[in-house]
Amino acid sequence: MICQIVFPSAWIDASALESTLRSSCAPHGPGVYEVLFRFPTGCRIMVDSAVRLLSLINQLSLSMRRVRLEFEEGEAGTMGYLDRMGFFDHLAKDVDVLPARPSLSAAEIYGGTNTRLVEIASINPKDRDVDLPSRLTDAMMDSCGNRPDAKGLEGAAWTIFAELIDNIFSHSSTQIDGYAALQVYPRGDRVKVAVSDSGLGIMSTLRPAIKTEFPSLENLSDIDLLVEIFRQGISRHGTDRGCGLKGSAAKAIKYNGELDVRLPNIRVLLTPGKEGYKPNTAYCYDGLPLIWGTHICFTFRLDTNR
Amino acid sequence: MNEKSAIIKLRDFMDSQEGWGRDQGRKVYQQLIDFVESNPGTMTFKVSLDQVRRVDISFASETIVELARRYRGKKGFCFTDLADQDMLENWDAAAERKGQPIMVWEGKNGQVIGITPSQGTLGAFNFALKRERTRASEFAASMPDISIANASTKFKQLWEQGFLLRREDVAESGGVEFTYHRIG
Repeated sequence: MICQIVFPSAWIDASALESTLRSSCAPHGPGVYEVLFRFPTGCRIMVDSAVRLLSLINQLSLSMRRVRLEFEEGEAGTMGYLDRMGFFDHLAKDVDVLPARPSLSAAEIYGGTNTRLVEIASINPKDRDVDLPSRLTDAMMDSCGNRPDAKGLEGAAWTIFAELIDNIFSHSSTQIDGYAALQVYPRGDRVKVAVSDSGLGIMSTLRPAIKTEFPSLENLSDIDLLVEIFRQGISRHGTDRGCGLKGSAAKAIKYNGELDVRLPNIRVLLTPGKEGYKPNTAYCYDGLPLIWGTHICFTFRLDTNR
Repeated sequence: MNEKSAIIKLRDFMDSQEGWGRDQGRKVYQQLIDFVESNPGTMTFKVSLDQVRRVDISFASETIVELARRYRGKKGFCFTDLADQDMLENWDAAAERKGQPIMVWEGKNGQVIGITPSQGTLGAFNFALKRERTRASEFAASMPDISIANASTKFKQLWEQGFLLRREDVAESGGVEFTYHRIG
């Protein structure tokens, strides 16, 4: 079966990506041997979608499916943006790109020259990019420097990025790298930092340990458990671990960051309240089309004075 | 007895001014263990964070916090040169998770991060903090409603939880009496 995923002619953030996937067939479905992604004129892929798509497409390629990407506008459209972000540098070589793969990578030519973005970086424990948290932080602060809480935000952001990337190292037992990227959206007064991996996923590694380490949480649904990972700090390694994601979430709350977490079949959008992230104020989505791994995006406002 | 102390310049154990991630933390931890073991007579290690720009919570958890937990009751670890608020929060979060108190010193002013003493032992802790070393009998003498046995229990709890260190001394009576030392 050929699975067609056709994006609308609009901005495609992670929510729009999910809507598009839900209205298509599941690309990881057992009968699917070919997946076609169509990007029509006017389709604008945002950074959180870009890294999730990259992970998904490389997963499909790894599972021996033929994958084609059709960009109606060619390099003049969203393909040009993806090229600038380094999307094609990390894309599996056997994925067909129409009209054609960029002959030269714009990310390689212009990489590091735009303070409003950090090109897609691969995250692999065997090849640790030790400066990546600082690069993401510097890019973020270049645009968030006018916030009254900028000084504190800088340290908090660095911690969040370091913990997220380290979390990929902990969970990635996979043949596909993890990815991280940042994009500032001045008109939307937002900066988005997206981190994505194709590993086992927090839930797959945590569930087996729940019974022994956290018996009181055994009956929670995956969604409620996911929220608790960020609220309480839960780790498969026991009660003295799990502080990294909890600490990251606490810092994001302090600076009014929104948190979007996508696991293989569920997604939770957490917006901070006075007492932090709460399950009953989260936007939860269950039964989503399969994407392996853990995909996290933090969104911060550029200027809280506005 | 004049107990020895040593300074650990954490930056000297790190590859750069920034420490993040559990793997990097574990490598640093092994070097720290070697350093501690090569100083067998030293009871207190003052960990200077001079030239350390940032650490994340995972790195904090795997290095000094784990070290303090490993040697709890035997050797003490405290921080100096820790002015950065975000880094303080990260050390605090990591120490809290492991239930490990750690002193932070700024000149003569000390504060404890990670966990705080219980209401029942707070008075004894504050008493000990004002002195390099003290005995339960001295605390009891300063508090008319607290017996020596009660004071001893409080100090023992503080020692077991990692707030204080202690050494065995010979009392004037000839028996054993413990001397409790603040960390740092």
